[in-house]
Amino acid sequence: MTGRTLSNATNITGVSPDDPPTLPRRLAYIHPRQSHPRRAVNALMLGLTGLMTLLALAPLVWIIVYVVARGLPHVNLAFFTQLPRPLGMEGGGVLHAIQGTIVLALLSSLFATPPGVLAAFYVARYPNTPLGIAVRFGTDVLSGVPSIVIGLFGYSLIVKQQGHYSAVAGGLALAILMLPTIIRTTEEMIKLVPANLREASLALGGPEWKTALSVILPAAANGVATGFLLAIARASGETAPLLFTALGNERYDIGAIVRGGIAAQQSLGTILGRILNQPVDSLPLTLWKYAQQPYPERVDKAWAAALVLMVLILLLNGFARLWMQHRASKMRG
Amino acid sequence: MNTMNINPQPPVEKLRSLAGVISHSLDVDPGSSRPLKMETRDLGLFYGAFQAVGNIDMRIRANQVTAIIGPSGCGKSTVLRCLNRMNDLVPNARVSGQVLLDGSNLYAPGVDVVNVRRQIGMVFQRPNPFPKSIYENVAYGPRLYGINRRAILDEIVENSLRHAALWDEVKDKLNHHAYALSGGQQQRLCIARALAVEPEVILMDEPASALDPIATYRIEELIRQLREDVTIVIVTHNMQQAARVSDETAFFMVNDRRMGYLVEFGPTTQIFTNPKNKQTEDYISGRFG
Repeated sequence: MTGRTLSNATNITGVSPDDPPTLPRRLAYIHPRQSHPRRAVNALMLGLTGLMTLLALAPLVWIIVYVVARGLPHVNLAFFTQLPRPLGMEGGGVLHAIQGTIVLALLSSLFATPPGVLAAFYVARYPNTPLGIAVRFGTDVLSGVPSIVIGLFGYSLIVKQQGHYSAVAGGLALAILMLPTIIRTTEEMIKLVPANLREASLALGGPEWKTALSVILPAAANGVATGFLLAIARASGETAPLLFTALGNERYDIGAIVRGGIAAQQSLGTILGRILNQPVDSLPLTLWKYAQQPYPERVDKAWAAALVLMVLILLLNGFARLWMQHRASKMRG
Repeated sequence: MNTMNINPQPPVEKLRSLAGVISHSLDVDPGSSRPLKMETRDLGLFYGAFQAVGNIDMRIRANQVTAIIGPSGCGKSTVLRCLNRMNDLVPNARVSGQVLLDGSNLYAPGVDVVNVRRQIGMVFQRPNPFPKSIYENVAYGPRLYGINRRAILDEIVENSLRHAALWDEVKDKLNHHAYALSGGQQQRLCIARALAVEPEVILMDEPASALDPIATYRIEELIRQLREDVTIVIVTHNMQQAARVSDETAFFMVNDRRMGYLVEFGPTTQIFTNPKNKQTEDYISGRFG
């Protein structure tokens, strides 16, 4: 019986061992010859793409080299630790802008992260509900809104109501700018968390919110942090939203505010209010203002600020990317 | 010419060898005298207008292992996931009929699904421990129910791991990451995690299909031990596995409208040695599927 089924199978495929397969030989004429024009065209195109790649890379290298060359001589300890000196005086630094940048970064993270992460959870969990679709469309549109318009929004929402510029207004404008990045990257990271982890938690009787908080969020935490860093990096380099909101403040010194507050026996709330509720400067804002001034020492400071800003953002981006790669390799492994 | 019949072993002999397996493994009475734990009444599941399974009437007895077997696509896993309402998570899935646990319908209005899943645990096809430590994996369920005292958690974790036959292997490394365990150990960890909330029923969806033969053997051994404490429903592709571990077996088939239905349900010995239905006999003897 076995023999019969075997021969049966041979009949079905219709190939017998005496009949070896042969390839048609009609295409043999394309076999490579030494001097074919195709090879020359290939070399030309390869050279062209290489050249264009270098051309595209050139501005980056140029910018980095130029900024380092103009800025590095003016970066010193005083640049980081001192407030600006009056015009015409040598020395001084941009401590006010560095402090302002940090305050703005903290405020904008505080404003943007909770709604951004929670919205991402909603969109990842209910992608096809009307609200889910609306949020996703909204973030796409928001990421395309010019940043100066966001600055105007902050101006009318907070500055006009309060009657003065402030760090809070600046932080809010930057937060709006960060929202799309945070929502999008967090959503992608949540989607990367295997569905069976969620099922495992729900099968134990875990409610959805607890599952999201204690299973999905920790599993996606690295990715969420990466998105957050990218968003901070983007916001830290922005000038336009701050023009209408944070304005700038050459005398901003948190150390002085705190010392003065303690001396006057003010409460913690009052001191915090004085730190947050007045105009602040930031590195890009300072750069923008100093670069327009006709005084060489101010222009030098602008170059130094550009260098510090560039290094800061490159570091943030590089760190985020490394983190993302590490995360991806861990997911695969 | 009959090309279908390419199985060199005549069906009768295959059935006898399976019966041998059964008489070895079934050291308890497979009798149907045990009380009823769960019951499905005319259970069906629809995805939109498409009916994936229908007319499922099963009676699952307490402290027994009930196996669900059948060819791919016959809705075994779908039915299993109806039993603890995991299909609630699937968009536009709709359940008809009833699923009773101790006589009350899980799909009645007002039933808390979280409560249902606490009583009816689940073990999945691929081991899916949380990316946490071994200890935290097992403690996750009790913590959900507000148990936070360390001493009580320690006790629950040890107990659950012992019941899942994993304690001796992991007792010195409870704080190690669960992903450091082997696949078989991870699956037993998932069983321990399910046991930690003291469910009455545990559903297992092909729990050994991603494991090697030795790990599979340990899981099967564990299933036979666990039936003293819980009622187990297991979906399996592997008929020998069903014969080895189960007391009762449900055989599912899929009809020409791609709807899964229950063909035969009865004591495992009877399904494997003396099936009443021709389709069951054909499937068991390897004629198709």
